[in-house]
Amino acid sequence: MPHLDAAFNLARWLTRNDHDAEDVVQEAMLRAYRFFDALRGEARPWLLAIVRNACFSWLQANRPVELQAIDRMEQESDAPGPEALAARDVDRRRLNEAIAALPVQFREVLVLRELEDLAYKDIARIAEIPIGTVMSRLARARRLLVESLRIIAAPPRLRVQK
Amino acid sequence: MKPEENRLHAYLDGELDAAASLEFEAQMAENPALRAACERQRELSAAIREKADYYPAPSRLRRISESPKKFLRFAPAFALVAVIAFALGALLKFPTAEDPLAREVVASHVRATLGGRLIDVASSDQHTVKPWLSARLPFSPPVADLSQDGFELAGARLDYAAGQPVAVLVYKRRQHVVDVFVWPAAGESEISASTREGFNVERFALGGMRYWVVSDLNRNELDDFARLLAARR
Repeated sequence: MPHLDAAFNLARWLTRNDHDAEDVVQEAMLRAYRFFDALRGEARPWLLAIVRNACFSWLQANRPVELQAIDRMEQESDAPGPEALAARDVDRRRLNEAIAALPVQFREVLVLRELEDLAYKDIARIAEIPIGTVMSRLARARRLLVESLRIIAAPPRLRVQK
Repeated sequence: MKPEENRLHAYLDGELDAAASLEFEAQMAENPALRAACERQRELSAAIREKADYYPAPSRLRRISESPKKFLRFAPAFALVAVIAFALGALLKFPTAEDPLAREVVASHVRATLGGRLIDVASSDQHTVKPWLSARLPFSPPVADLSQDGFELAGARLDYAAGQPVAVLVYKRRQHVVDVFVWPAAGESEISASTREGFNVERFALGGMRYWVVSDLNRNELDDFARLLAARR
């Protein structure tokens, strides 16, 4: 099966543990094989859409609370953004923890964009949201990350002069 | 969410068309704060790509998914059995030599599931199933009604195991089939559980009968089932 790593990586980030990710991918593979004939266009977004749906069904059944997080997040007022960031100095472990702690709807667009390098239109198809929502969720995901990492670096003015 | 912030992300992700991109760059040229924000986001993105964990598929999954072409020829039901068998085969704790009986009952279960010949007498009524079995076997197996506990009696079939004709009671739980093989044997033994070719197996002996329970149902629920069965007879 091509794109198995991408499938597992997505499931692992969404379920946040190896065992459940394996179960979910296995189930998604069965579904994928069954609908193989229906495959049109690129295989990776198609497979990831199936994996993503299997993950969300799994979350719905096992951790429904996680799926509700987004309602609160999207209503939240615009907090002032962080003013400086030197992301290259961020500790690897802290970065991973911060991504894992993101609400799942933000985590999925971030993983699809940054780790799978997918275009907005593919992410929109996988996550079943409009492209505009992909954009705003990505922006929000990155902002949340920066906030939770509380990365502090040189003030912006200094960086501009660089 | 501010629209200009969204545009910044779209710009960084290469999602703006050429005209919008140029326009955004012109804005940045006049706006140092925007330029700095853009640079910070670029760094964050680079840091994620460089430092975030990427989880490659474990070798077990890889093995299962090998040769999809071959896989595709199978009917979905068979594919399901194959996947479960492959996946859990690696975990096989059962020494092969230990119990030819385990092999027999699991083989019977798989044959019946694949062939669709699960049930010779279909009834959820124990008072129909028991006489039907008694009339065809040299013994009368106990037939428990466990519908209160979520295991519906679907019926029974006859099979041959341990060198003799045996009764197979068929229960259903959701989409799972639970086969209970029963035949007379002396002695008593506690419930003991094992896994074979991906199927969960439980066995015990009680009241002059030996019981083997085989299913693809998860271990916990099958344990419950075996305990209920042992308690009911």
